[in-house]
Amino acid sequence: MRSDDPALKKMTPPKLTLLEQSYLPQILGGLVVTGRHIVKAALGDGAVTMEYPEVQHQPSPNYRGVHRLNKDEQGRVKCVACMLCATACPVHCIDIVGATAPESWTDREKYCQSFVIDELRCIYCGMCEEACPVDAIELTSMYDLSGLSREEMIFDKTKLLSVFDLTKEGEPMKSGIVPPASSNRSRELVTTPTTGPVIERQQLV
Amino acid sequence: MATIIIDGQSFELPEGAKFNAIQAAKHFGIDIPYYCWHPALSVVANCRMCEIEVGTKDPATGEIKMLPRLVPGCQTPARDGTVLVTESAKVLEHRKNIMELLLINHPLDCPVCDQAGECGLQDYSYEHGRAAHRFVEERNVKPKKEVSDLIVLNQDRCIMCTRCVRFTREIPGTAELHVMRRGDHGEIAIFPDQPVDNPLAGNVVDLCPVGALLDKDFLHNQRVWFLSKHDGVCTGCSTGCNISVEENAGKVWRHKPRHNPYVNDYWICDEGRYGYKAANSPTLLGGNYVLEGKDHHGVPTDRFVKRLNETLTTRILDKQSVLGILSPYLSVEEAFAAAQWLASLTNRVELALGPVPVRGEDLTFAPDKTKGRSGDTSFIVPRPFTISAEKAPNRAGVEMMLDHFGKGAVPFEKALESVASHPIVIVFGGSPDESWIEADQVAALRKAEVLVLFDTTINPLADVADFVAGIASFAEKSGTYVNRDRRLQRFEAALPPREGVWPLLDLIAIVSGDGKAPIRSQEILKAAARVVPGLAKVEDGLVPELGLNLDSKDQPIPDAGFQDDWTLANVSTV
Repeated sequence: MRSDDPALKKMTPPKLTLLEQSYLPQILGGLVVTGRHIVKAALGDGAVTMEYPEVQHQPSPNYRGVHRLNKDEQGRVKCVACMLCATACPVHCIDIVGATAPESWTDREKYCQSFVIDELRCIYCGMCEEACPVDAIELTSMYDLSGLSREEMIFDKTKLLSVFDLTKEGEPMKSGIVPPASSNRSRELVTTPTTGPVIERQQLV
Repeated sequence: MATIIIDGQSFELPEGAKFNAIQAAKHFGIDIPYYCWHPALSVVANCRMCEIEVGTKDPATGEIKMLPRLVPGCQTPARDGTVLVTESAKVLEHRKNIMELLLINHPLDCPVCDQAGECGLQDYSYEHGRAAHRFVEERNVKPKKEVSDLIVLNQDRCIMCTRCVRFTREIPGTAELHVMRRGDHGEIAIFPDQPVDNPLAGNVVDLCPVGALLDKDFLHNQRVWFLSKHDGVCTGCSTGCNISVEENAGKVWRHKPRHNPYVNDYWICDEGRYGYKAANSPTLLGGNYVLEGKDHHGVPTDRFVKRLNETLTTRILDKQSVLGILSPYLSVEEAFAAAQWLASLTNRVELALGPVPVRGEDLTFAPDKTKGRSGDTSFIVPRPFTISAEKAPNRAGVEMMLDHFGKGAVPFEKALESVASHPIVIVFGGSPDESWIEADQVAALRKAEVLVLFDTTINPLADVADFVAGIASFAEKSGTYVNRDRRLQRFEAALPPREGVWPLLDLIAIVSGDGKAPIRSQEILKAAARVVPGLAKVEDGLVPELGLNLDSKDQPIPDAGFQDDWTLANVSTV
């Protein structure tokens, strides 16, 4: 649109009176609000801040925190390595190495050998969760994420699965739909191989 | 002039073209969807996807008579006065119905299917299909089976287009695949203990429009939309098949054929297909090395160049002569730059051709237009496909340089005999195979006082050479090759040069002080075309997409460049 377009509606700022030009009424108004909060916090439980970490913040249910990789009822990782999350990710912080699933996994032909998220690169937009066709990746309400090095903040499959174990009680899987189990699976074969190849840093870029 | 009317518009058919309706429409930019038809295979018209309204225009009265029913476009010849209607309500409704029928038993497993992203079913169901599935009965799920060591058949995804069956019957003529049973029970099958075993077997994977036939080598490795495609030329033999080199995250993941009717038609052999592995080989040289005592020490390029130049200059001032060996794996530009550099060092220089690997005999598949084919063959232009015995891509191009700068193509064996009279030997290698040189040949070359090697792999010669420079591998360089039919073909680099290594063109520019890296191969080709008579045709350094015949003029091919729509996608999200 050009600046001389007739469809443009030109607006002029309102004229201020002499009193308004001194800004005093606005400053006093602000001080009244501050004073009200001081009185409320001193007399009752009207404080809007909290004493973290003694008091823990409860984020809203749709808060997007640290990722977790969901497990199915047999303890296997639900991810089928379709890499749609890595495709949807706007910052390319997800790196997946897919592999053919073991013969005994009759319900799928592919699984993730390695699944790495760079939690520092991630912008917590939730697109991965949206893209996942099997509800394997979810964002939890964990927000107090810290680490001593950058490497520590690159979460591999083991770590992401452990986030699931940590949070599954408080936050059940959003879909709730678990793929139907076949009867002919033996117990010892269902343990998830958690160690994948070491992902080099440059592969994430 | 033949005129064809498509959707109310008149088009002039190109001279000498024998098109069917799909080809004709595509030629003028109108898409008719199809699955079972392929330009190199006979027409069976069994997928019914290309059915359109067809009629004829009476040349005398101008009256148009349409056939009452829809007709397969693949079987309809495009002649003077043919009328095609591709977008009527009737046709669109029909496509919708066909898509629904094709998808009845098809699983919804696109997320784990390797074909996703280059799948005919995905593309057409998005374009022509229904959003919802109305079929409520239980799907007919056939098990997965293996048709060879390298190819897996996911029968549940198959739409029975029979492209693969026709391919094995009509192109290699081995006919390993067939259709077993009929109707809903129909399946693609091999005979017991007779897997798909022919040198072109991998092409059935490319032909499959859906994810039924998949390459086990690529299976579950990558999603195709992550891959960046680069136009390359296969270095496996002197045929010089046009390939697409597909890479992601610093690795080449696969080779796919590119259509070139003058060279390889639609196919590549399995050796070329799996030749990509050499680009990711752990035995590639990772830098420059100088022999000190008995060990090689890695040195940075600047120090390497300084020491090499010092050694060469002192010896050349002592009037020592140079033997240069140019491998047939060098590109035209590399061979030119190398020969030019050697010639500029001294006038006492002899040039020779590196070893040209030859294995077996030329293997030609020459499909007949009608013999061995089953369906309608009237639209086929049969083209032979040859796998050369000569396993190097550019003997012809390197020989051209040897003719110009030296005394013709001196064979490697003869060059070995003359090592005694040349104290300095400079070898330009480039073979992806580490065993390109025999132990006795290494010993013969080692008799030289100074042995310099520019090569890509850690090989027996690199173990003994005084100076070893790693150079870019076939996937890391761009340039041109001249194939067995003297066709000059351009290829582009798929990967950046690996850490610590320069492309040969840049390294020669640094060593000779002639220019500043990076060097564009096109500039070198231009310079070569000015002085080498054989290359006079490329004086602008531009090579056409389908290559350039250096000797004669190409016959124009009207259907050149045709490729299935769904294989063309080059969507890279990274």
